Amino acid sequence: MGGKVTCTLGEVKNRADFIVYWGGNPAECHPRHFTKYTLMQKSKFLPRGRKDRTVVMVDIRETKSVKAADIFLQVRPGKDFELMTILRAMVKDQEVSDEQIAETGLTREQLTDLIARMKGARFGVMFFGMGLSMTRGKHMNSAALLTLAAEMNAFTKFVAMPMRGHGNVTGADVIMRWQTGYPFGISFNRGYPRYNPGEFSTVDVLVRGDTDCAFIIGADPGATMPQPAIDHLAKIPTIVLDPHVTHTSRLARVHITTAPAGIAAPGTGYRMDEIPMPLRPALESPYPSDEEVVRRIKEAIAAKPDWMGQQPQMLLSQI
Amino acid sequence: MPAIRLLLNPMRTAKQGVNVNVGKDGDEYKEITTTLSIHPEDLAALGIQDGDSVRVRTEFGEAEFKCQSAKVPEGMAFVPYGPPTCRLMGGGTDGTGMPTSKGWEVDVIPVDSLSPET
Repeated sequence: MGGKVTCTLGEVKNRADFIVYWGGNPAECHPRHFTKYTLMQKSKFLPRGRKDRTVVMVDIRETKSVKAADIFLQVRPGKDFELMTILRAMVKDQEVSDEQIAETGLTREQLTDLIARMKGARFGVMFFGMGLSMTRGKHMNSAALLTLAAEMNAFTKFVAMPMRGHGNVTGADVIMRWQTGYPFGISFNRGYPRYNPGEFSTVDVLVRGDTDCAFIIGADPGATMPQPAIDHLAKIPTIVLDPHVTHTSRLARVHITTAPAGIAAPGTGYRMDEIPMPLRPALESPYPSDEEVVRRIKEAIAAKPDWMGQQPQMLLSQI
Repeated sequence: MPAIRLLLNPMRTAKQGVNVNVGKDGDEYKEITTTLSIHPEDLAALGIQDGDSVRVRTEFGEAEFKCQSAKVPEGMAFVPYGPPTCRLMGGGTDGTGMPTSKGWEVDVIPVDSLSPET
């Protein structure tokens, strides 16, 4: 099964009476998630706010977020996929052995109780974080959770949503999706977009040494990516657009200081539920915005003679 | 001296998130990203105390961290993402585009026990 059964955070705020956080720690990573959308808000459908909601936390350790939850399920590391598969089976009253359940670090009573609560909810939502998507299993874990959420709709309303990272990563995915049909890992080298994670995704391209130039906007791979990828960035001409001096700007040949978006530059930021939010700058900056720099580079390239002998079809021409 | 094998989970904290914006050159960011939270029993197994340094090794690289006893499951260690964890991370993505950023099996060795050439 593919796809994502989801909703906006506004619907979560107004309707979700059963909330699961799986492999995420919002108390540390999304500090306003609880207060703005999931726990504290009162609404027409949840007039008592927190008292009308049940919150479940699934994690390998007792994070700070666990204090805010009604139920904590401590899954054994690397057993998320197994647990979700067991839940999918038990939801449909299929047989699951005690040994299979014990492998996940949980008990049959815990899972039976969880399923009864899930089926008894009026509007359930499952948020999932990097504890699910960045451990062994990766996209298969995410797919299992999305499938569980989709299958729960045979019993009650259920949705799922990833707890996206800092900055505007959702915006990057959304824009690439409507421009090319794909969210990331895209190659344009044939003049049209091709998608293949593992081949065209940034880490893989850098680690294999396939690229001889890098243009980085608003990211700091020098402090986040695996060392072989960082080593390659240091070898090739790397150009960085960033308001700050970062680990990446230090290894770059060119660093263009830009105004921070949302603070000193306008634009659009996408919330984790993919709702575009206009950013109104509060301050003025002597530096240009990322958009202005990219536009000027594009104009300078367009003014150069056509060295390929033919005008390649470029995505930039659509901007 | 004892070396033990732990499951290392790089993670995020609110303080780390703040310091990403304050500046990654600050002493606080460096301290946050080099502080390893481990179970008191694992600390005892290593024969070290709170604040002592350990070298963490994976098949891809190694980095030094300061240990801090914390309420975490035995056999596991947690540290906020940062340049030291980059050195431990492999470049493979299993065809997904995403390197495995959590759940690494690592060797943890007390720094005092290391001879100068290791």
